[in-house]
Amino acid sequence: MTWMMKLRKSNPGMPIFLWLYAILSVYPLVWMIFYSLKNNDEIFVTNPFGPPMHLRFENYVEAWSKYNVPVYFMNSLLVAVATVAGAILLAVMFSYAAARLRWRFSKIAHTYILVGMFIPIQVIMIPLAILVRDLNLANTYGALIIPYIAFNISFASMVFYGFFRSIPIEMEESACIDGASIYRTFFSIMLPIIKPALATMVIFIFLNSWNEFTMAVILITKESLKTLPLGLLFFQGQFTTDWGAMGAAMTIASLPTVLIYILFSEQVENALTVGSAVKG
Amino acid sequence: MKKMAIFIMSLCLVFVAACGSGGNNEAANNKATDEGNKETATNAAPEETKAEEAKPVKLRIYAQYADDDTKLPYDYAVAELKKEMPNVELELEVQAQDDGQKLKTYAATGNLPDIFQAGLDIITTFKKSGNILELDSYVDELGFRDKMYPSTMNTLVADDGHTYAFPYAGNEFVLLYYNKELFEQNNVKVPTTYDELMTAVKAFNAAGITPMSLFAKEKWPTVALFDMFVTRNEPQGILKLDKGEASASDPAYKEAADKIIELVKAGMLPKGATNLNYDQAAALFHQGKAAMFLNGQWEIAESTKQLGEKAGWMYFPGKDAANYEASKYAFSGGGGPGGYAVNPDTKDKDVAAKVAAFLSLKYAEYKYTERGNPLVSTKVDKAIVTEYPPMMKQLSDDIAKITSTTSFAWGLSDAKFKAAIEDASQSLMTGAYSSEQFIEDVNKAIPAAK
Amino acid sequence: MNKFLGNKTAILLFILPALLLYTVMVFYPIVQTFFRSMYEWDGLSEGTFIWFDNYTRLFQDSLFFTSVKNGLIFAVIITVTQIGIGSILAFAVADAKFKGRKLLRISFFIPVVLSITVVCQLWLSIYNGEYGLINKIFEMIGLEYKQDWLSSSKSAIVAIAFVNAWQYMGYHFALLLAGVKSVPEQYMEAARIDGATKLQAILKINIPMMAETYKFCLVFAITGGLNAFANMYIMTSGGPGTSTYTLTYLMYRSAFRVGEFGYGSAAAAILVIECLIATLIINRLIARERISY
Repeated sequence: MTWMMKLRKSNPGMPIFLWLYAILSVYPLVWMIFYSLKNNDEIFVTNPFGPPMHLRFENYVEAWSKYNVPVYFMNSLLVAVATVAGAILLAVMFSYAAARLRWRFSKIAHTYILVGMFIPIQVIMIPLAILVRDLNLANTYGALIIPYIAFNISFASMVFYGFFRSIPIEMEESACIDGASIYRTFFSIMLPIIKPALATMVIFIFLNSWNEFTMAVILITKESLKTLPLGLLFFQGQFTTDWGAMGAAMTIASLPTVLIYILFSEQVENALTVGSAVKG
Repeated sequence: MKKMAIFIMSLCLVFVAACGSGGNNEAANNKATDEGNKETATNAAPEETKAEEAKPVKLRIYAQYADDDTKLPYDYAVAELKKEMPNVELELEVQAQDDGQKLKTYAATGNLPDIFQAGLDIITTFKKSGNILELDSYVDELGFRDKMYPSTMNTLVADDGHTYAFPYAGNEFVLLYYNKELFEQNNVKVPTTYDELMTAVKAFNAAGITPMSLFAKEKWPTVALFDMFVTRNEPQGILKLDKGEASASDPAYKEAADKIIELVKAGMLPKGATNLNYDQAAALFHQGKAAMFLNGQWEIAESTKQLGEKAGWMYFPGKDAANYEASKYAFSGGGGPGGYAVNPDTKDKDVAAKVAAFLSLKYAEYKYTERGNPLVSTKVDKAIVTEYPPMMKQLSDDIAKITSTTSFAWGLSDAKFKAAIEDASQSLMTGAYSSEQFIEDVNKAIPAAK
Repeated sequence: MNKFLGNKTAILLFILPALLLYTVMVFYPIVQTFFRSMYEWDGLSEGTFIWFDNYTRLFQDSLFFTSVKNGLIFAVIITVTQIGIGSILAFAVADAKFKGRKLLRISFFIPVVLSITVVCQLWLSIYNGEYGLINKIFEMIGLEYKQDWLSSSKSAIVAIAFVNAWQYMGYHFALLLAGVKSVPEQYMEAARIDGATKLQAILKINIPMMAETYKFCLVFAITGGLNAFANMYIMTSGGPGTSTYTLTYLMYRSAFRVGEFGYGSAAAAILVIECLIATLIINRLIARERISY
């Protein structure tokens, strides 16, 4: 360990850079909270970056009164949790088969799934909306959950594929010799090894789903099924926008995820250490 | 290892539970609405003797509902509707600012709301695909024509002679607002010619004041500015290009582009104008940091509130004194068909059309009586509650004298040309775009003359 | 072994659910996009089949080339910064002895947690020509270098790309961190015994071992860049003029502002092909046989 300490001492620039970068990364969170307590004037002209001069909590009152925040919140949570569960499960199974199992079209199937990342959602919005209608998903949670899962499969599969490919073949060989079934090998040996990737993707997919706006605005019409990002619609006029109240709505939408992330990241950290311990 | 398997299993369970509960909630909601309907039904029962046709109707409506200018008139119209047709219940969906993406997707999936706000763009597209109800018979039946002014007929009847929407807005104008106090304090003459405008730009810049504020992040104000220069020589302005009857290389258009480039280079616009939204650009003007401001006449209320007597609007400067006088009443802006439209597949077309017509009348009425905006399409027989500000008086005195109007960018009929002129006009505001490029980019999109 | 890894039932069980859902919800609409790219179509009415006319038109449209160019600029900027900075941060934070690493890790990820609207609004304020932070800093240190970052047709695309690079760096940081964690400890131990410096160890052991991680980070960054839309939609609406158009933005404009859905679909089809080529190139460049330790 001493060589690392030496490195640290000889290179004090690194910690300084890291902490500066950390401040730069946290600032938008602080800025968003400031923003949510200002009026248009302060936001754009008099004081765009500093703390608000008066705390305008009325922005929150305004935001809260516009739409049913608890209902939107619960919908967001439900959709996000279901999306995470579905997408992770499907992607991890698929990518295991594509990366490790031996079949003819594994490479092609992998590339085929990747194409989902190449298409911007705006392009296929109309065919997708028609599909949602034809599958009788319109005005159910499924109208969001099913497309969200489908669209997260590509990215998640790509990441899991990469991780599965990095695992030495001996792992399966020894499992095979021990007489374990392929399913047992998958669940008890392979999955624990890619735990770091699993933990990371849980967070990614949760965030993707939580912040998703483009599909939600078009696929959900029923008030009782709307998710938090749709609250922003109430503040954007054709010409003017109540930016302060919009800031409040954005804070209401983002703060829980930030808190969940901060609390949950401890668990992720644990998952990571367990993951590498298994390996060692 | 078991833990992991359990984890995966529980994920699956959560997933199944989520989908399941989706279904359950759905059922519960339906039940709730059913009960709600029953309730209204029982409530309505005693009245049924009075009005036989008053069965409860629920209509979905897609409308703007974001700021005071759209919320208050809408709320008023809905409250009035409750009195007039108590059996009708409106379910509002707030319009997204998304270039009609949502509405078009609704149309594609057959999920169009019963009533929706439609502009020219939506009317043109939906007309072709049969997603908008032709309202001619209802115009006659409801006597809507009699409620219009002769001068605003263009907002009711489209180019093809049919009606697709009941208008709630009238013909509107672009105005060049100015801060009288700033002009006096800095000894700047209110410009009547291009040269004087240039002098003013230079004088204000020297005094550290932004000469003209413009929210050029939205593209239409840049088109409006271009159009104002064009209309000094060609009263039809951008409308003539839209119809394919002129070329951007014609002198009136080329000179306008050249003039704008010259003025922008001299510092007419605030720094980063193409990134200013309305709130930012208006703040410059309202706080006395900008001497002039370009916006529609609807800005009168806000500028009066912020600047009081100090705010005024001027006739647009001309090439010279003679041109100024000659083109004084060639206004920029205008109106076109648009308003509340009806889904042709709605269950009860008669009710939906009646509601749409009623809403548009009441919406306009509120704007007229309460929002100090007399420029609506339909006649209002109620007394004004909020008196016109002086700037509005000046405008309404002038309305009869107006010799010509053009169009806002959103009123252009050729979508391709509209997109091109918007992009090209915004580029003019950067100062790093030549009039030759402008002509090339615009001419590519000008439609063939009809 | 072949029998073990070639278990047909297992393979089908593993791949079918994902393939099925993906094919129906994602791939089928993509196929429709390709199909519709050969139509003159407004998105709603019938439309006419016109073979490859949309493509011919596209290749004569200067806006198309602007869009492709901007997509490439965007992709290069976010790839270099996200993977570059992401690697530095990941290797630094992976060091178990580093004080405050937990706090750092949480901090680096925060921009990703926020919605893109918030981040774009913040950067709009930072870039603002009148009141912006960057210009204020130049002013404070006495430089007369005031810039209209987003209003100049040259710098706007770079400025926007930087915002995206900055916001989503956290994704790459987290993926690379997970990648570093997956490199078995004993390899680093061995390097240490050989007397390698930390930097040498990273270059010689970590990075080659993380080839798969870098592969998907590259694909993720490059396709994300070529696909860019939300940033310009919120920050510049493609402006000033058309200088921050990308293929997705061109598609959006054609389909929804101009009502030429078929033409927009053609732009989208080119985009998909472009991304596919980029991915194949990446796979070629970082082609590696299955790792055997």
